[in-house]
Amino acid sequence: MELLRILLRSNRFMAGFWIVTAVLAFALLGPTLLTDVGPFQRVGGLFNPPSRDALLGTDNFGRDVFTQLMYGTRTSLYIGLVAGFVATFIGVTIGTLAGYASGVIEEALMGVTNVLITIPPIVVLILLSVAVDARTATTMGIIIGVTAWPWTARAVRAQTSSLRTREHVAIARISGVGSLEMMLVEILPYMFSYIFMAFILQLTGGILAEATLSMLGLGPFQTVSLGTLLHWSLLWESVRVGAWWAFIPATVFLSITTFSLILMNAGMDEIFNPTLRHTR
Amino acid sequence: MPNVVEVEGLEAYYRTPAGDDIKAVDGVSLAVREGEVLGIAGESGCGKTTLAQVLGLTVQKPLYVRSGKVLLEGRNALALDRETMRREVRGKTISTVPQGAMNSLNPTLRVRNLVIDVMRDHNPRIRRREAVERARERLDLLGLPPRVLEAYPHQLSGGMKQRVITVVSTLLDPVLLIVDEPTSALDVTSQKVAIKLLVDLLAKRIIRSIVFITHELPLLRHVADRIAIMYAGRLVEVGAMEDIVFRPQHPYAEGLVGSVLVPEPGMKERTVTGIPGRPPDMRRPPAGCRFAPRCPKRFDLCDRDPRPFGIDGREVWCWLHRDQPNAERP
Amino acid sequence: MLRVFRNRPYLLYLTRKAFWYLVAFVAAVALNFFLPRLIPGNPVSVIVGQMSAGAVESATLERLYTAFMRDFGLDQPLHVQFWTYLTGVLQGDLGTSFMLYPSKVWDVIRQALPWTVALQVPAILVGWIVGNVLGALAAYKGGTFDRFAFTGSLMLSSIPYFCLAIIFVYAFAVHWPLFPASGGYSFGYFPEWSWAFFVDALYHYALPFLSLVLVAIGGQAIGMREMAIYELNTDYVNYAKKLGVSDRRVVRYVFRNAMLPQITGLAISFGTLIGGALVTEAVFSYPGLGSLLFTAIRQVDYPMIQGITLIITLTVLLANFLVDIAYGFIDPRIRAGQVGER
Ligand SMILES: Nc1ncnc2c1ncn2[C@@H]1O[C@H](COP(=O)(O)OP(=O)(O)O)[C@@H](O)[C@H]1O
Ligand code: SF4
Ligand SMILES: [Mg+2]
Repeated sequence: MELLRILLRSNRFMAGFWIVTAVLAFALLGPTLLTDVGPFQRVGGLFNPPSRDALLGTDNFGRDVFTQLMYGTRTSLYIGLVAGFVATFIGVTIGTLAGYASGVIEEALMGVTNVLITIPPIVVLILLSVAVDARTATTMGIIIGVTAWPWTARAVRAQTSSLRTREHVAIARISGVGSLEMMLVEILPYMFSYIFMAFILQLTGGILAEATLSMLGLGPFQTVSLGTLLHWSLLWESVRVGAWWAFIPATVFLSITTFSLILMNAGMDEIFNPTLRHTR
Repeated sequence: MPNVVEVEGLEAYYRTPAGDDIKAVDGVSLAVREGEVLGIAGESGCGKTTLAQVLGLTVQKPLYVRSGKVLLEGRNALALDRETMRREVRGKTISTVPQGAMNSLNPTLRVRNLVIDVMRDHNPRIRRREAVERARERLDLLGLPPRVLEAYPHQLSGGMKQRVITVVSTLLDPVLLIVDEPTSALDVTSQKVAIKLLVDLLAKRIIRSIVFITHELPLLRHVADRIAIMYAGRLVEVGAMEDIVFRPQHPYAEGLVGSVLVPEPGMKERTVTGIPGRPPDMRRPPAGCRFAPRCPKRFDLCDRDPRPFGIDGREVWCWLHRDQPNAERP
Repeated sequence: MLRVFRNRPYLLYLTRKAFWYLVAFVAAVALNFFLPRLIPGNPVSVIVGQMSAGAVESATLERLYTAFMRDFGLDQPLHVQFWTYLTGVLQGDLGTSFMLYPSKVWDVIRQALPWTVALQVPAILVGWIVGNVLGALAAYKGGTFDRFAFTGSLMLSSIPYFCLAIIFVYAFAVHWPLFPASGGYSFGYFPEWSWAFFVDALYHYALPFLSLVLVAIGGQAIGMREMAIYELNTDYVNYAKKLGVSDRRVVRYVFRNAMLPQITGLAISFGTLIGGALVTEAVFSYPGLGSLLFTAIRQVDYPMIQGITLIITLTVLLANFLVDIAYGFIDPRIRAGQVGER
């Protein structure tokens, strides 16, 4: 609670938090409140500039960019969340196991983790995406999640091993608490803030990975995401014809979302991680 | 003889990120006399290290001196400018062997280079060769192998690190050396060696005074001339070593002397088991006698701040001794 | 421990690293091999089938089909296929391109690779150096400078590479046509060692390079700031101050020690930034691997995609290994055998 109070006083955290909330509200409520067309519906001609009818103009097929932006943000956030949950879940599980168990199990788990960290994630992402034929937003989230967990695993393991030597864990061990209970009761709760921060980072990474894949042409089928919007603007050259309304909004939304998430994370980092506190 | 360093009515607080003050040292007056070994003892968290930072003139954020006087050889030390403080005081007049000396050496710096840096930053005219030569002679004089100069910190054992740091800290022959928990990370043999080195430094007149900080009061029996006992940011009893160790007057000092330290492996700072209860939260210390919540002898006067009472040359902050005269400040 | 390694901690460190990189290499090759085979059914007919949606003659398709059946060796058992693939890779045979049939994949990649290396390696290195200096300054100065530098770096590093690229193209090539909007050199030029070509190429280089460098600076500055703040709070810094060591010298200690983990950061950059950098190339239609990948994905040129991912992995592994070698050299703790893992 003490920490929460400090968190609320952190400008960085609060700025990030409010922007994320606004983006989230836009993505969740926008499609029902602010538009009555679908993202694939034609409402005008080729690259109409912004007007009363289409707030952000139309794209190369005459579809409403403002509507696409709301749906696109929703998909991107959704994919990011799925990826974040999957990666955090796998990472925390493996990290805690490796940090708590020692000896062969730890060596094996960390060996696998370290090898996977060395291979650039984009490579595995591309290969998996090409292999999975019908990509829904959910499959994309899962694909991104299963390639992103090693960092979380490594960080969580380091935390767990340092927690293992702490007083309350030692006491619990002496009093014969079982391993599973120990992990769930004595170790995980002490890492909540840490895990939450890892999740935020994975969420950010997931949104970025989606955009990267989609821009390369490996995006979700039959939905728009911020990445697909940008992919189209590459494909149909809206940048080169100067139709700024077709690509600037997605660019800005992507940047703002990742920036505010990272801002939140930086705010938390300063508070939960006392060694990073600036004392000068 | 003047006091080397002295604080009066010192309040030294830590400012937390939430904006609170941790009142680590809260109204302490204490003088370090030239030629003495002053022991400071108390449970961990009572403010010993904080007091050492002020005495060593090495206060830095988030610690700040809220009020009180700090006198260096009789002059106001808080008025010294940064550069004079660095060049003329730190390492040269007052030097420190910090708590946790195990991590106090830069892992990527050979000892010889630290030696060179320390010497040249106080006297730019000295040559690198001379600096190393001086260090070698000093090590020789104190019976340490000169080859440690070529070592990186991780190549030294814990006990050796402690000794190397002691030597580096005293290279410039400071008047006062403050040693903070020099033995708590060491095994018994290394503890003895570390203490012998301090005694040697005094005997060879390389340094004149020592402030020896520890949470293990019995340790002071072999080294200290005087002892100050702290509790929750305040002094509770100050006096000659024999008086404090063999005839403590303050209930907390009695507990500290009488308590048995139970060594628990893996715990760096042990807790005093002879006194039940825990020290107070230093953001909101209790009014009146701070020891009252744990004191077996508390009575109705104890909800007021005790004055220092004088008992044959020592000071005791406890209402039990209210029939004694007020202590005379030295 | 083996006798050879006694008193040779650096050798031990190198051998251990080399072993793990070998494992990573085999794992990467295996992924490259097995993941495509997750495509349900016969991958060749799936790929050729997807292609036939385009306007390709059936005779060509027929030829492609046989060529790929041979390349993939689908009639063989899996372990034989893997062995064929592995020996092929080791001899530099990455198969035949689909969209540029009958060009060999390696020949196409070989032409694109120098452009990618010339763009990304300098961008990462410059970004790394400038970012580290900025981060260290921010950590040391604190106060307002730190607040601005840190927030600015956060902003730069959280803008996806390709977003900045898109904005740059629009702003500096379309809206204010100061720089070319696409390509690595002008139409009518051919890659050759001439002054005119060099100048033209440099002109095309500016925007993509800048957009990569800026983001890289942000990321590195944040990492360095964090490390430097950590180091500034360590016991050895406090001790040095207590001894009256000058600020200038303390800063040097801190910078050096904070730098060591940043060398690892450099290695990580190679791996994590390459994805974003590839898309940046696509945005600028820069003639490197990124643009090639973009086209290959659109044309479902599986052998080409696979070849590119493999080359990227190899390059990143190699870069990482080189960085690790250098790291072991610089950090006295490794040379002395204190720490095996960083
Ligand atoms: N850097 C710091 N920031 C905030 N509080 C601190 C800091 N260092 C010490 N404290 C607090 O100040 C009090 C006194 O600490 P310290 O002087 O280190 O005690 P001791 O040396 O006797 O163990 C403790 O309550 C401790 O928690
Ligand atoms: S003043 Fe009272 S409470 Fe405090 S130590 Fe003395 S008797 Fe105990
Ligand atoms: Mg202490």
